[in-house]
Amino acid sequence: MTAAAAPALKMQRRSLYPGWFYLPAAVVYSVLFLAPTFASLYFSLTRWTLFDATFIGFDNFAQFFREPFLIQGLVNTVIYAVVTSGLKVVIGMALAVMLTSQIMARGYLRSVIFFPVLVSTIGVGMTFTVLMHPTQGMINQALALFGIAGPGWLVDPKLALFSVALVDVWKGVGLATVIYIAGLVAIPKDYYEAARIDGATRLQNFIYVTLPLSRPATATVITLSFIGGLRTFDLIWAMTKGGPGFASDTVASVIYKQYQAGFYGLSTAGNVVLFILIAVLVVPLTMFLNRKQGHE
Amino acid sequence: MAGLELKNIQKTYGKVEVIKGVDLDIEDGEFVVFVGPSGCGKSTLLRMIAGLEDITGGELYIGDKLCNDVEPRDRSIAMVFQSYALYPHMTVYDNVGFGLKLAKTPKDVRDQKIREAARILKMEHLLDRKPGQLSGGQRQRVAIGRAIVRQPEVFLFDEPLSNLDAALRVDTRMEIAKLHADLGATMIYVTHDQVEAMTLADKIVVLDAGVVQQVGSPIELYQRPQNRFVAGFIGSPKMNFVEVAVEAIGPDAITVGSKDVASLRVPAATAGISVGDTLTLGIRPHDLSPANTGAIVGRVAIVERLGNETIVNIELASGTAWLAVLDGDQALRIGESLALAAEPAKAILFDAAGKALLPTPA
Repeated sequence: MTAAAAPALKMQRRSLYPGWFYLPAAVVYSVLFLAPTFASLYFSLTRWTLFDATFIGFDNFAQFFREPFLIQGLVNTVIYAVVTSGLKVVIGMALAVMLTSQIMARGYLRSVIFFPVLVSTIGVGMTFTVLMHPTQGMINQALALFGIAGPGWLVDPKLALFSVALVDVWKGVGLATVIYIAGLVAIPKDYYEAARIDGATRLQNFIYVTLPLSRPATATVITLSFIGGLRTFDLIWAMTKGGPGFASDTVASVIYKQYQAGFYGLSTAGNVVLFILIAVLVVPLTMFLNRKQGHE
Repeated sequence: MAGLELKNIQKTYGKVEVIKGVDLDIEDGEFVVFVGPSGCGKSTLLRMIAGLEDITGGELYIGDKLCNDVEPRDRSIAMVFQSYALYPHMTVYDNVGFGLKLAKTPKDVRDQKIREAARILKMEHLLDRKPGQLSGGQRQRVAIGRAIVRQPEVFLFDEPLSNLDAALRVDTRMEIAKLHADLGATMIYVTHDQVEAMTLADKIVVLDAGVVQQVGSPIELYQRPQNRFVAGFIGSPKMNFVEVAVEAIGPDAITVGSKDVASLRVPAATAGISVGDTLTLGIRPHDLSPANTGAIVGRVAIVERLGNETIVNIELASGTAWLAVLDGDQALRIGESLALAAEPAKAILFDAAGKALLPTPA
């Protein structure tokens, strides 16, 4: 460091608050996040029970990837994440556009759409399992009234994963909508007025003004729902337990099954794999979504 | 090119009347400035002309076309917003060409028009940049460029200079004046700054509380304001006012006086005025000069010496604060007594309702 650079650096480092202010947060973060993360990294390399651990190197990982249904679980996880986040973006944006325009009972409708977010995932899963029952479920009975033979939502291996994804979208789209509403109301009215004077139609307004200017909201929604989709477990477990067979297994449900079977080291290794999978997919995604665009 | 005609234009929001019946003729090619204090309705009136606000009552003609219910894009207008409203995700080129793109103008024509506008505004080197990379003045140019490419018959400006610093404001003001001279289009310009109004306008419309107070050329408004509001609003520093009593009524003049002003004979319309009435005397700070026998005597409160002129804040006997702008550098001491003479021909009397008692012009 040169002598001239030193004072400048010192200036930069001067903070408003004393350094030890960050200690409580650092302690909580270390105990609850850092320590378990590193502990699980270590335990993924061992065969362990509650009382002892034997170091076995990468054996757990090797065994995990030999699991016949793991590859399907990985593929399912990515499909699930893409489908749910894609639908949440499209439906959330559409609902937000509707709920920020001049319509009747706007405030009421906003609460209605947000309501599923507040309900327990397990509760939602159980309810939809009943609704989606192939013969007695209300959905297929309603379809039958119109002469449509409803599919086996949760029992058809080709459909089960997508049925759960739809329920996930139903439950989570309220949050996406709220994020979009916040994004849309932040767009200055002047842009729409300028476009109106230039002769923009409603569709052109949407394409040239709303869509590009709500990109920060889109980035947030995609990131949140994509990560949520990758780590999904509770809804899958409540509705299909990964079935029929292994048709709707995701990485998280595979891990859970191994944990249930007492393979603690193996399931810890699975968690590390999931952690790496999320990081590998989400880091470049957020970098792409948040790339600088000449915004002010 | 087109002129405009506003017939009894009204705007109400629920029960609140914002524009209370405005009648106005704007000639083709004229530069008209709407000026008034905040909340006077000037921006609302402009937005009604643009078609961004519905017209509650009255008729708006642009050219010969009744435009009350015509969509903004079909009014042959272009508007420059106070915030500039440049799309942050588009380059300057795309911002300027946005309206043409929506109108499905062929690409080569569009390109030619964008480059022509950039040439007029000397911003060819900015075309590839995004608004976030421009200074305030440059953004202002782009906003004007976006208006120019549409080749409108009427340009509307909504306080376009209010986000610029003082020096840039003066430059941009001159550029807008030059643009008007070059394009010859009708321009309507909203501002609360009376200096902008005085320097730019062919015709000033002074608004207050949704009512047109006076329409006229800048000099007309300065020299012959029709009421106390216009007299106080136009001119910088503001006109001085003080209450006086009528002492005598002569042919075409009224002699007034008070404990602040020794008898002063002011040319004025005398109809309906009788001796003993209370009037308001208005004298501009520039029309006062030091004189030992001056009619107005006060105590010096603040002195601002600018070199070429001296602005003196004086306190009259009644406690009323007046300003005087004196020529040259005057060495005055705070607290000393100062006698000022006023040229009676430039003083204006206002009746109790605030109406100016202007003498019939010679």
